[in-house]
Amino acid sequence: MKYELPIFDVKHLNFLVRGQKILSDISFEIFEGEYIAIIGPNGGGKTTLIRMLLGLETPTTGEIKIFGKKLRAFKEWYKIGYVPQRATLVDENFPATVEDIVKMGRIAKRGIFAGVSSEDREMVEDAMIKMDIINLREKMVGTLSGGQRQRVMIARALASAPKILILDEPNTGVDMLSQQRFYTLLAKLNKEENITILFITHDVGVIADDIGRLFTINEKAIICNDPKKTLSCEEVSDLYGINAHALYNHKHEHQQ
Amino acid sequence: MSEMLSYDFMQRAFVAGLFIAILASMSGTFVVLRRYSLMSETLAHSALVGVAVGLVAGYNPLWMAVVVAIASAWLIEYLRSTFSLYSDAILAIMLSGSLAIAVIIVSLGGAFNNSLFSYLFGSILSVTDEDVQTIVIFGTLSLLFLLLFAKELYFIAYDEEVARTSGIKVKFLNFLLVTVVAIIIALSIRVVGSLLIGALMVIPTVAALQYRVGFRNTMLISLFFALFSVVFGMSLSYYYSLPSGATIVLSIIVIFIISLIINKK
Ligand SMILES: Nc1ncnc2c1ncn2[C@@H]1O[C@H](COP(=O)(O)OP(=O)(O)O)[C@@H](O)[C@H]1O
Ligand SMILES: [Mg+2]
Repeated sequence: MKYELPIFDVKHLNFLVRGQKILSDISFEIFEGEYIAIIGPNGGGKTTLIRMLLGLETPTTGEIKIFGKKLRAFKEWYKIGYVPQRATLVDENFPATVEDIVKMGRIAKRGIFAGVSSEDREMVEDAMIKMDIINLREKMVGTLSGGQRQRVMIARALASAPKILILDEPNTGVDMLSQQRFYTLLAKLNKEENITILFITHDVGVIADDIGRLFTINEKAIICNDPKKTLSCEEVSDLYGINAHALYNHKHEHQQ
Repeated sequence: MSEMLSYDFMQRAFVAGLFIAILASMSGTFVVLRRYSLMSETLAHSALVGVAVGLVAGYNPLWMAVVVAIASAWLIEYLRSTFSLYSDAILAIMLSGSLAIAVIIVSLGGAFNNSLFSYLFGSILSVTDEDVQTIVIFGTLSLLFLLLFAKELYFIAYDEEVARTSGIKVKFLNFLLVTVVAIIIALSIRVVGSLLIGALMVIPTVAALQYRVGFRNTMLISLFFALFSVVFGMSLSYYYSLPSGATIVLSIIVIFIISLIINKK
């Protein structure tokens, strides 16, 4: 088997705030092309974990490598697309059209003195087409529905042609139907474009068929390499408490 | 109009005023979107300390205003990042503190006179050749920064953390932005006055935001409003012998009210 460089290589991550353990001894690797869901109870440390992967928070101890480089030395941030939890909550007064937002995605890729290239324009166009928001390009983001905003934020992340998308349940104010459509889009990006996806979600039952692995985070992490089997595993119910049961049932309902 | 522009002092005032309109409205867009409006007010009062030192010690007041405003901007950023204080409280303390220091310096130096009044409310009569030079030199540098980093600053204003994860040097650009805002405010006190410059920075953008258009058009509308109110305000100042800062600010407030009414939902 040939050796493959992981996108993320995380070793023995610990995070303490004022003596309180938020995350303890977390280790995993993420490889190109994977689709990984992260679940866990509220306050379990999911957001904190991905903020560390993005360099927004510094672990107390432990090491994070991105594409083989230590986080501090990593410079190619355009390879990573991040959509935070609050992404669908837009300040109604903020002066931005859909295209303004998607264009921001190109800034990571561009040098300071470089103007807007034809490649920039193409990638912005491309991302808007993929997310089916091209007809909304002139619209102000403040006037869009939750589902539309969600797709705008993904388009912004896609505009820099990332290898991996990191999504922190960006679904506040998104209706069920749009949510379903969003999952379909993610699965398509993963399968057809080989974009790696790391997705914090509460809906793991619904996307169980799309994902390859499941991380359960509640201070500690449990990595399930076969989520279909492991959703019922006892370790998960230990970590998750009563919710594990609900998750398991939810998945069964979905499959019927 | 042509009679007004035949005077040297009016030509100087217009060059300075138009330059300041461009600088104040462009930087003002970022100031408003980043919720720095109160900060611009505080820096304007700090600049007054520089003016006081200049008047009393016989240095160029505008230069001194630039120096003290920059120092004050850095101090605010330092206090914000080092101590856990409410940042609007820091601004309020610095604002009144600066004014107190300026008044004491001026009183001790016996410089309580018309010259000080002109720095408070702006005066088209008092713009010297040296002032125009200072404004053009610092103003051009500030404008270059704003044009070069407009997209990055816009991204940061939209979402600071996502901007960071896109590899943008957020801390460094924030630092440069407050420095440039400090410079622009200090330069403006000649024409607009330190008590009124905050308005020229903030109101054109707030008025432009009422039209609910994209980034570029918001910037352009705000620029147009600032230019118009400076030209109109300075003309009023000339014809009715009023302080130019006051007439400029009232012009921009009228524009704001009209914008609010015609864009009422
Ligand atoms: N920088 C921080 N300072 C204080 N508390 C923090 C910090 N980062 C995370 N926490 C705490 O860590 C816990 C995990 O939060 P979070 O990662 O948001 O959980 P989740 O996303 O799984 O709901 C919360 O109790 C939160 O208050
Ligand atoms: Mg969270």
